[in-house]
Amino acid sequence: MPVIWLIVIVLALAVAGFILGRTRAMQSAGGDRRHLHSLPTYYGSNVALKAAVPAILLMVVWLVAQPFYVNSVVSGMIPDSAVADGSSRGLVLAEVRRAADGLDNAVALGAISEEFARNARADFTDVTTRLKEAGQIVTTQITQPVLRAAQKYRVMNATGNMIMSGVVILIALLGIFWGLRETNKDFRARNVVEKSVLALLIAAASIAVLTTVGIVLSLIFNTIEFFRLYPASEFFGSLTWSPSFGGGSELGVLPLLWGTFYISLVALIVAVPIGLFAAVYLSEYASKPVRSFAKPMLEVLAGIPTIVYGLFALLTIGPMLLSAFGPDGTGWMSGQRAVVTAGLAMGIMLIPFVSSLSDDIINAVPQAMRDGSYGLGATKSETIKQVILPAALPGIVGAVLLATSRAIGETMIVVLGAGAAARLSLNPFEAMTTVTAKIVSQLTGDSDFASPEALVAFALGMTLFIMTLGLNVFALYIVRKYREQYD
Amino acid sequence: MYDAPHTERDVDQQDIKISARKVQVYYGTTHAIKDVDCDIEDKTVTAFIGPSGCGKSTFLRCLNRMNDTIDVCRVEGDISIDGEDIYDKRVDPVQLRAKVGMVFQKPNPFPKSIYDNIAYGPRIHGLAKNKADLDEIVEKSLRRGAIWDEVKDRLDAPGTGLSGGQQQRLCIARAVATEPEVLLMDEPCSALDPIATSQVEELIDELRQDYSVVIVTHSMQQAARVSQKTAFFHLGNLVEFGDTGKIFTNPVDSRTESYITGRIG
Amino acid sequence: MTDASMDTPQPRRAKTSLMTEDARTKKRNASEKRFQAYGIAAIATGLFFLVVLAFSIVRSGLPAFTTTVVDVNFTLTQAQFDEAEGQLFKTKAYSGYFITALQQKLEAENVQVAFDEAAIERIMGKIGGTLREYYTANPDQLDEEVAFKLNAASRVDGYFKGRVQRETLQDSRFLTLADLDLVDALAEAGIVHTTFNWGFITGADSGVDNPGGAGIGASVVGSFFMMLVVLFLSLPIGVAASIYLEEFAPQNRWTDIIEVNISNLAAVPSIVFGILGLAVFIQFMHLPQSAPLVGGLVLTLMTLPTIIISTRASLKAVPPSIRDAALGVGASKMQSVFHHVLPLAMPGILTGTIIGLAQALGETAPLLLIGMVGFVARGYPDGLIGGFTDPNSAMPAQIYTWAARADQAFYEKAWGGIIILLIFLLTMNIIAIILRRRFERRW
Repeated sequence: MPVIWLIVIVLALAVAGFILGRTRAMQSAGGDRRHLHSLPTYYGSNVALKAAVPAILLMVVWLVAQPFYVNSVVSGMIPDSAVADGSSRGLVLAEVRRAADGLDNAVALGAISEEFARNARADFTDVTTRLKEAGQIVTTQITQPVLRAAQKYRVMNATGNMIMSGVVILIALLGIFWGLRETNKDFRARNVVEKSVLALLIAAASIAVLTTVGIVLSLIFNTIEFFRLYPASEFFGSLTWSPSFGGGSELGVLPLLWGTFYISLVALIVAVPIGLFAAVYLSEYASKPVRSFAKPMLEVLAGIPTIVYGLFALLTIGPMLLSAFGPDGTGWMSGQRAVVTAGLAMGIMLIPFVSSLSDDIINAVPQAMRDGSYGLGATKSETIKQVILPAALPGIVGAVLLATSRAIGETMIVVLGAGAAARLSLNPFEAMTTVTAKIVSQLTGDSDFASPEALVAFALGMTLFIMTLGLNVFALYIVRKYREQYD
Repeated sequence: MYDAPHTERDVDQQDIKISARKVQVYYGTTHAIKDVDCDIEDKTVTAFIGPSGCGKSTFLRCLNRMNDTIDVCRVEGDISIDGEDIYDKRVDPVQLRAKVGMVFQKPNPFPKSIYDNIAYGPRIHGLAKNKADLDEIVEKSLRRGAIWDEVKDRLDAPGTGLSGGQQQRLCIARAVATEPEVLLMDEPCSALDPIATSQVEELIDELRQDYSVVIVTHSMQQAARVSQKTAFFHLGNLVEFGDTGKIFTNPVDSRTESYITGRIG
Repeated sequence: MTDASMDTPQPRRAKTSLMTEDARTKKRNASEKRFQAYGIAAIATGLFFLVVLAFSIVRSGLPAFTTTVVDVNFTLTQAQFDEAEGQLFKTKAYSGYFITALQQKLEAENVQVAFDEAAIERIMGKIGGTLREYYTANPDQLDEEVAFKLNAASRVDGYFKGRVQRETLQDSRFLTLADLDLVDALAEAGIVHTTFNWGFITGADSGVDNPGGAGIGASVVGSFFMMLVVLFLSLPIGVAASIYLEEFAPQNRWTDIIEVNISNLAAVPSIVFGILGLAVFIQFMHLPQSAPLVGGLVLTLMTLPTIIISTRASLKAVPPSIRDAALGVGASKMQSVFHHVLPLAMPGILTGTIIGLAQALGETAPLLLIGMVGFVARGYPDGLIGGFTDPNSAMPAQIYTWAARADQAFYEKAWGGIIILLIFLLTMNIIAIILRRRFERRW
């Protein structure tokens, strides 16, 4: 039974519980709702919550736990001899899952019978061919141990799902029973329901924390796994980045960090002066109509997805720069992908980011400061340069740090605009690559997740996460301190 | 009660520094100042009194064109300093404000050191020849502001770290440092405690030797204590203008009388 | 002052008239003008970039919405059909008939141009095979005049759109200079012309060798199902979390941790969310790869902080007096929030949610990591559940895939895809603005 139907059934039970609970409460009050402690809907809600929440929680836990159990059992069925050299148990298990999916789909399509799927033996019939004929994607020849494991996997999953459905429905029914039993006119249904709702609210708020925990855990485990296969000293110390999936890769992070840093620098050189001057002009000089036109227009730049900037870098900025600095121009640039190409596009993307943050910060400087300065006979620009900007400096530094963190974490622009070659060079017209671009290239494609070449992406992700987190925490701290100063 | 503490009130006729004729101020569609005529004398403290919202601060801000910084504000009529129309097209408000300094209701030291707060004006107007010269200006201004003794050991400390009264005296010293000819004060003591207030009031009386001082105040006692001339504003009109002693003891207009006796306000 | 004491020094500033600008003021005003000019230049630069960007998108993207087709009316007689089927090279026979018919047609139009079978194939593909397939499937159309609408080859399409130019064309097995003469002749005769490309809007991705057939429709569907997941998860969770934090949360460590967490999550690079999705949803939970469901889950986690931040702002904007009024008539805290505060904050919440969704719709990087790359979008999913679980792509990922392909003809598709993506984003933002204008309440 697909999970979605199970959810529908549980929800239907909850609705039924609601109606029953409401009716029962009304009955216990003799049909007069004034005798009830709470409004009748609360009695209904109480029953509905008791039916749905435990059942759905159980289902979620079951859905997460079942694959573990099944995997460990199935894994035990595969003899070591079936794991080929150069392969791993994980790969074989993936194959088992593929085979099982193939069998499932083939049965669903009617290409093979359930009987066949359960009992076929790879030694006697050519299961692989039959699956392929049924349009299923099966990568290798299915061997007997794999087929047996796949059959076991199917059966266990099917049984597991069946048991889960039963148990979940039972729990929902028990919940209804429990809720109905405590329903009488003196039962404090509202308090109970509100407590449960509060618990749900807390759970929702905790998802943010769970997400962070999830990020940290998924990075840490895979990073540790990576360092087990590849020495950390090499990762942090080597000056070469040359992954090869055949083995013997050199995976030094330094060239990637350099590329990241260099491109971000170019982006900030573009974005900070433009953004800052734009913010100063908009908040101090611009007349109302100019401001109400220019500010949203600049903010449009912030709403454009980064893939657009990536394409803009690759297909507009790159060729433009190439015609000026390429072989036909000054000869500094050899291809359209380069540090400046990506940096410029990223800079454009960051202009509204810098300008709207700075705008907020400049507006937070009290009017009294300006009055004081004008009152002494200062011009606007003197006031801005010598009073407002120094006063706003911490906030602006915070804004620039936030922009830096954005630049470091930006992916699509560098994937399309910066190039693929990791290089340690000072020439901004050369192609370089970044941490984020390499995470994408190492994790897309059909690589084996257990190889250091794929796992390195998690170490890169960890590096990226720590860098951006550090910058963000620091920047937010500065900005908050700054705000408090004028509150 | 309204007898001023300075019994030797200097009521000699002085030169007229600022003269205003038929001044009108509009905030958008609101008519904030109506037809105000007023002559402000040199080396005199002139007090503007009146209930809140009567336009006394608005009028004060016309005198150095601080109202220019407010978009919706429009000023009509003539205001001249030493016979020169300050709303003339050729007048640069920046030059005007160097001549007509201003001290605000809330002390507003810049988030810089005490030294840099004072040096700010002289620097932008190019008053000092060299560093030693600037040091001299700073010291002199702080002395004029009657705060030198309190801050001379910590000129590098931020100006925002001083107490409210010290901050306001710092702001006065800052205004004095640019050597203005007129000093406008917009309720300079309203954010201060009584002790700080009396210090600032003493300072205002001293400043009278060199400057024409115009002070807006909420407190009639303060006006009586520090000023030689008093102008009473009500609902945007200048109701009565004359010697302080006369206004407080023998007002001509019944509205003035009602105000100083506490019936309106 | 004759007695110049310490307190009354010589005035440093000469008494000058206000009417003349002294030298220093002139200098200062010049610097003021300069400074103001920098500001204007900065804004002008920003707007210039915006204009260039918009211009690039429109100029390069519009051709994706047109395609070059060959319109030919052609009649095949029963006799010709039988004869062709009797030959050894059947398709060659069909193309022979076709070429003869075409020649006659051109002569009738008085157009003089020579061409051979190879040239025809370079221009409109393997015409013989197409014809044979058609007549074998529809024998009843024999002896009738049939209007064929054939897609022109990608390079011919490029010639019409300016991508391929006579001056730079190298003769190759794909296209020769002589073919272009033929194309011009056919265009003059009205046989070859450009028309609106519905296939781009409704179609799915094609192989790397067929840029003409690539469409974005399937990815739009993928994006749609993803947005459904994001909407139905992030709105309730975001609102619930915000209500808790804004209305119920006590000031304690746990609340602090949640708050710091949310503000930091909002600034975590999107690619990190992709890593999270890959590790947790695919490696750990074995959810299907490339499924919009998983993409939606990842984007939900990514959008949640944005939605929570904007929702809290709208809750905060509801004045405390409303809460007090509800509590004052005996409502519980929960009732005051759900009956009064939440409905009043709803327009703001919806606006924030739409903007969050728009952000999620344009996000690419995390989708690449969970396998939602463009070439997966080969067809429409079957059914509602399939929409969530069948491998599919999303608009931005599809655009990326096209941009990364070697054949430049795909670039046009990528720009075209961007136009479609931006139309969606624009619509969402306009809805948000209308909502805000319509229901904005100032307390």
